[in-house]
Amino acid sequence: MEGRHEDDKKHTASKLAEEIKALAVYKSLYSDVQKLASSSIVRKDDFRQTLHQAMKDQGLETKFRNTIYHLVKTHSNKNKDPISLLTKASGQWEKRIHKSLNSMCTDLETALAKTRPQSEQEELLEKWNELSTYTLDLSKYRPVYAPKDFLEVLITLSGYVPYTREDEPKWEFAHLPLQVKTLDQLRKVFPEWANGEPLLGVNPNMPSSVPGFASLEAERISLGERVAILGYAPVVQEYLKKGSPQCLRAKLWSQVLGSDIQASHLEYFAQLKKDVLEIDLMIDKLIFKDVQLTASNDDQYFVFEDLLYQVMLCFSRDSEVMKKLKDSIGNPPTVTIKGKQTSADSVTVFPPSGIIPFHGFSMYATPFCYLYDDPAQLYYTFRSFYIRYWHRLHYISTHSQGIVSLCLLYERLLEANEPLLWIHFRNININPIRVVFKWLMRAFSGHLPPDQLLLLWDAILGYDCLEILPLLALAILSFRKENIFQVNTIQNVDAVLADLSTISVIPLLQLALMKS
Amino acid sequence: MNQDAKKMANSLYGRVNAPAVERCRVNFCTDLEKSVLMSNFERRAWNQVGPDDEWNFYWASTQTCRNLFSVESGYRMNDNQIINHFPNHYELSRKDLLVKNIKRYRKELEREGNPLAEKAEVVLHGGQVVTRYVHLDFVPVTFVLPADYNMFVEEYRKSPQSTWIMKPCGKSQGTGIFLINKLSKLKKWSREAKTPFHPQLTKESYVISRYIDNPLLIGGKKFDLRLYVLVTSFRPLKAYLFQLGFCRFCTVKYDTSVTELDNMYVHLTNVSVQKHGGDYNNIHGGKMTVQNLRLYLEGTQGRAVTEKLFAAMQWLIVHSLKAVSSVMANDRHCFECYGYDIIIDNQLKPWLVEVNASPSLTSTTVNDRILKYKLIDNMLSVVLPPDGVPDVRWNKIPSAEAMGNFDLLIDEELIEKEEPSGHSRALKTKYK
Ligand SMILES: Nc1ncnc2c1ncn2[C@@H]1O[C@H](COP(=O)(O)OP(=O)(O)O)[C@@H](O)[C@H]1O
Ligand SMILES: [Mg+2]
Repeated sequence: MEGRHEDDKKHTASKLAEEIKALAVYKSLYSDVQKLASSSIVRKDDFRQTLHQAMKDQGLETKFRNTIYHLVKTHSNKNKDPISLLTKASGQWEKRIHKSLNSMCTDLETALAKTRPQSEQEELLEKWNELSTYTLDLSKYRPVYAPKDFLEVLITLSGYVPYTREDEPKWEFAHLPLQVKTLDQLRKVFPEWANGEPLLGVNPNMPSSVPGFASLEAERISLGERVAILGYAPVVQEYLKKGSPQCLRAKLWSQVLGSDIQASHLEYFAQLKKDVLEIDLMIDKLIFKDVQLTASNDDQYFVFEDLLYQVMLCFSRDSEVMKKLKDSIGNPPTVTIKGKQTSADSVTVFPPSGIIPFHGFSMYATPFCYLYDDPAQLYYTFRSFYIRYWHRLHYISTHSQGIVSLCLLYERLLEANEPLLWIHFRNININPIRVVFKWLMRAFSGHLPPDQLLLLWDAILGYDCLEILPLLALAILSFRKENIFQVNTIQNVDAVLADLSTISVIPLLQLALMKS
Repeated sequence: MNQDAKKMANSLYGRVNAPAVERCRVNFCTDLEKSVLMSNFERRAWNQVGPDDEWNFYWASTQTCRNLFSVESGYRMNDNQIINHFPNHYELSRKDLLVKNIKRYRKELEREGNPLAEKAEVVLHGGQVVTRYVHLDFVPVTFVLPADYNMFVEEYRKSPQSTWIMKPCGKSQGTGIFLINKLSKLKKWSREAKTPFHPQLTKESYVISRYIDNPLLIGGKKFDLRLYVLVTSFRPLKAYLFQLGFCRFCTVKYDTSVTELDNMYVHLTNVSVQKHGGDYNNIHGGKMTVQNLRLYLEGTQGRAVTEKLFAAMQWLIVHSLKAVSSVMANDRHCFECYGYDIIIDNQLKPWLVEVNASPSLTSTTVNDRILKYKLIDNMLSVVLPPDGVPDVRWNKIPSAEAMGNFDLLIDEELIEKEEPSGHSRALKTKYK
């Protein structure tokens, strides 16, 4: 028994070691250890012990631990989707998207990828910091798809499952053989919330239970400062469960996501920029269009417009995104770059990130503008967030954190905890997922004011799960139910739910979890 | 208001709690039929009357207000009448008088030996050393033209590379403003202003202020703040700051090059200017909330500097009001809501640009409308006694609920009595 356990451990350790060797940070880690080993603090006669101690003292151990933590967190789900029907559906959906991209190209008489003429490159470079002044005719470009198109696809999913019963409406996700948690099980996931522990974001004047602090906020800031200095990712994660003060958030988020900037990051980011300048991808226009349709018109984000163009354009060129998500995002096409001599690099994956943006895609990045004004730092935190969470919200999968499971979770929670609302929706023949889907798919970005949104995303990082999204959707519906009962068309329900500017996320969620 | 205070108020006025229906309806008169005003009056079921009728509440233009208070009008207000301006608001709202009053206030404090008037030497961008007030240096160096021309030239010579901004004293909304970086340009202007056909035009006075050429930029763009401050009395000073201010952004990137000196879309943040630009967006109107500014600053620059900035803005407002409190005609019938224009520089120091006595109540966007509706609503509940009927005998101490989105900036009466109870919303900072 013991021996077996040891073997397993050894096996895992050597596998991890292999993976670390393949990482970009490996070189710098290795040279740090080398330097340390050759310093006088490490003694030859007690090499192992003194080296270990020195690594601890110099913070290298934390670096190693964090590296492993981030590695494990982003491990891609190697096994293919167990429900083959969902795989089929997602394949068909992907084909539709590609087809629509291609036909847009044909209609507009352009290519998916082409070299950018020198003059255009120069202009783009010159205006890189104010891309809002870069003139493009985008009138004929349309987003490839919008949340409601994606929802239609998801709703038909239940149709793929053979045992749909005649007497039940077809739209229920419940027909899918997926497991989701009940409210009671969720309470066990969020014990701090369910037990009514003091959280940030409830009341700015909430007193502290720790002597010596004027308020909960002061207490959290003091603790958070120590956590940030320690910089150990699992501790940071734990800390985020109860909410971060805004002044520490930028630091803590990058620590928990491993997106602290290093020199290699800056080089890589510069390379992405170069790729944007050299190759004109049709997706660039879609990115411009998306920022224009969303952030540019939003009083909370318009000032960050130029920053967003940079970040989103670079993201589309980032092949590391695709590498990390290769098992979750389907098979992006490979296209020839028009105007390039035929060679090994005259073809490109379209786009290199593998991610085709939908209407509102930029909203996954906008809230980070309240944390970082440096484009590179913003970029890496946004990218890590995307790789860990956001891609699950717009790709079809059976993952417990995937959009299908989240829709199902919402449906089940509503039916079990707000039965009257559930019946009301049935009576007025509205599929209840329709009124909340855009919130879920955008993780509430653009719907909640930024301060509330950041608190919500603290919880996503802290509990490392997206189930908080359907839970919040339920909580908002409960909160507004009296008004929903008064109306019976989808337009009117939407109107009741349109303005979330007065919603206090944390108290609402805590209420939902504490009720028994 | 707490129970005791309420009881006291009732006995003071010799009233008992009358049921709502029996209360006398408020008659209001207005010179301005803006929807954010009218909808508030309507919601309170007030009754509109003309200026010659028996009004209780008058939303007047500054001109009307001055006329009403002038000796010639012979109008005497009764105890149940209030009006939205102080008759000599211009002590604060005229660009030249504001600066004059602040200069006088600092001198007075200095003469008293008050530590607030402490001075110290500071080094400017250009390297030259000047003496400035440590705590009261919150308006850019300003002179009135043509009166202070010689003083201006003296100051100009100290740092000839700096830029100055010329503003007509009596205008608003960015009209007549231009930037100057050479003395010759000013000379040229003064020659041209004296046109032989309109010699009387030369009478118009200007202020010339040091141009804040290092404003804090967000997304590369200049912005200023519009904060709303409600004053219900100048002696003792009672003032409230509305939490929902906003930033007004330029539509074009900030650029200090000489070629852009005349480009008002780069330098002036007035919506009335920006909305004529090709890049103006009428969905957000170039406006971002002050709460979001705070969130951004705290997130990107930290808490300490952000808190310091906001405290410095409150400080600046309080002292600008104190600077005029002795010269204001402190009539009990008056209250006034001021629009403060403040620029933050890239060292996170706030500068007072001007104070408007009739801040715009036009709604440029949906959110703007919501904000201004709340502003009026909260303002009415602060200036009216608990029973909702104007009464100048009221002690002007609104309850925490009545303050809505207003924070107490200062109430000298309360400071005097050292009676902070019932004012949980009072700001922590004490102004002495
Ligand atoms: N000293 C200054 N430094 C920098 N900008 C200024 C200065 N004074 C005014 N401005 C800019 O010009 C605008 C208009 O000036 P202001 O004094 O408010 O006059 P107006 O009554 O026309 O609004 C301000 O909102 C601000 O953007
Ligand atoms: Mg102004």
